[in-house]
Amino acid sequence: MPHIHLGEGSFPLWALVLWTLIGAGLISTVVYRIRKGGIKTHQIALAGVGAAASFAVFQLNIPVWGGIHMNLTGLVGIIAGPLLGALVALVVNIFSAALGHGAVGLIGANTLINASEAIVAYYAFKTLLGMEWDVFPASASAATLGLSVGSFLMGAIIVISGVNGSALPRGDLLIAVGGLSALNLGVAVVEGILTGLIVQFLASVRPDLVGLTDRDTRDEPTGVTA
Amino acid sequence: MTTLSNHVPDPRLITAFAERRDGPLHRINPWTKIGVVGVLVLAVTVFDRLALLAGLYGTVLVVYGVADLPYRRLIGWYTLPMLFIVSVAGPLAFLEPGTPIGGALPTPFGGFSVTWEGLTLFLELSCRSLTVVTFALTASMTTKYTDVAYMLGRLLPRPIDQIALLTYRFTFVMLETLEDLVKAALSRGANFSEFWSNKRLYARILGMTMLSAIEQSERLVKSMEARGYDGDLTLYGDVPRPPARELVAIAACYTGVVAYALVGVYEVVPV
Repeated sequence: MPHIHLGEGSFPLWALVLWTLIGAGLISTVVYRIRKGGIKTHQIALAGVGAAASFAVFQLNIPVWGGIHMNLTGLVGIIAGPLLGALVALVVNIFSAALGHGAVGLIGANTLINASEAIVAYYAFKTLLGMEWDVFPASASAATLGLSVGSFLMGAIIVISGVNGSALPRGDLLIAVGGLSALNLGVAVVEGILTGLIVQFLASVRPDLVGLTDRDTRDEPTGVTA
Repeated sequence: MTTLSNHVPDPRLITAFAERRDGPLHRINPWTKIGVVGVLVLAVTVFDRLALLAGLYGTVLVVYGVADLPYRRLIGWYTLPMLFIVSVAGPLAFLEPGTPIGGALPTPFGGFSVTWEGLTLFLELSCRSLTVVTFALTASMTTKYTDVAYMLGRLLPRPIDQIALLTYRFTFVMLETLEDLVKAALSRGANFSEFWSNKRLYARILGMTMLSAIEQSERLVKSMEARGYDGDLTLYGDVPRPPARELVAIAACYTGVVAYALVGVYEVVPV
């Protein structure tokens, strides 16, 4: 998951306030739209348990380039939708910050990035399915696109904010951040492929989960165990 | 062999420390700890001297020890924050303008060296980051499950609070599910050491984890609706207001940091 890979205190105070306010604005809009449209119990349960799964998946070490961790934000967006996906991004960031991953003061910025990943992945997936793409290429491309947007947004946030205590001109900072964004894009491709395979697997056992069939016409739960 | 990471804090271990230990910080009011996190975020953002930042980090490290928490685990958990510091502050240490340390290496793009200013920036960013990481972990490891759940319910607006409460409850279940799936695959001779040749196995395990989460949520819906769920998960715990001495201490910390920022950093108030 592309993150603001800067620790606490890396941004000046004005930037901390700015990104927190923008993040809060996004979440307020999402909450307003959810409250206005009404939320069903199954949506709350799906978002809550889905966020728990996303948080748990982060504990798994994927052996690429010495080990990477992912939250499958694109997958959460595809399954939960853009609104709940944004809320899941916020909740996962709060819990991650409590465990020392990601900064407390950057929850707003991180939520912006992860919510954008979930939202872009959802709409890209729906668009590609509408163009009659198969499930794997549609979901892999959608997740990669969403995560790439997140990576660019992350780079933009760092360059706009500047690094606390650094006298480096913005142009040179762009070079330093460019390397980090490129690394994140590589991770985005890995996570995109993995997301595509997961969605393909889910579509084979529960096509209703990825919108291929009607939710109300599906069979009873399969009772998955180890 | 890939299993669950030991350099990412395991929420089950964190919660076990909170529930089973009884150090001095376990007895501090949870609202006070939230207040300390806030003041630390503010302090590491506005403090502009390495000595101050190092002193703050040292103090938090002492508090971690006083809370009777294990330093060895903490070093392992520093892996991810340090990786991020190195990936960003590392290049900055070379690019930052200033006096080179021990001369510059000539390259076609110009002299290449770590500068004293770059090294100072690297150390400052490390102290800033590790200060809050250490205290966030200290607070998590000394606050009981029911108190955390109560505060999530109080601090977050609906429906985020409902989602956060379910996430907190089901994180432990999902971790065990994931661990069971990994163990089951290993016992059937699976090999996790290389990703590209085993990507379908990874996808299957992560897909099963998500599927298990979704099916748990569907069973949960039935039980929630059977109990008359109306958009509010009832919490039976209570976290009282902090005692006066803790409120005074927090107010003094905020006043000190804000005063330093106004006088020493932004020079809004001339001395």
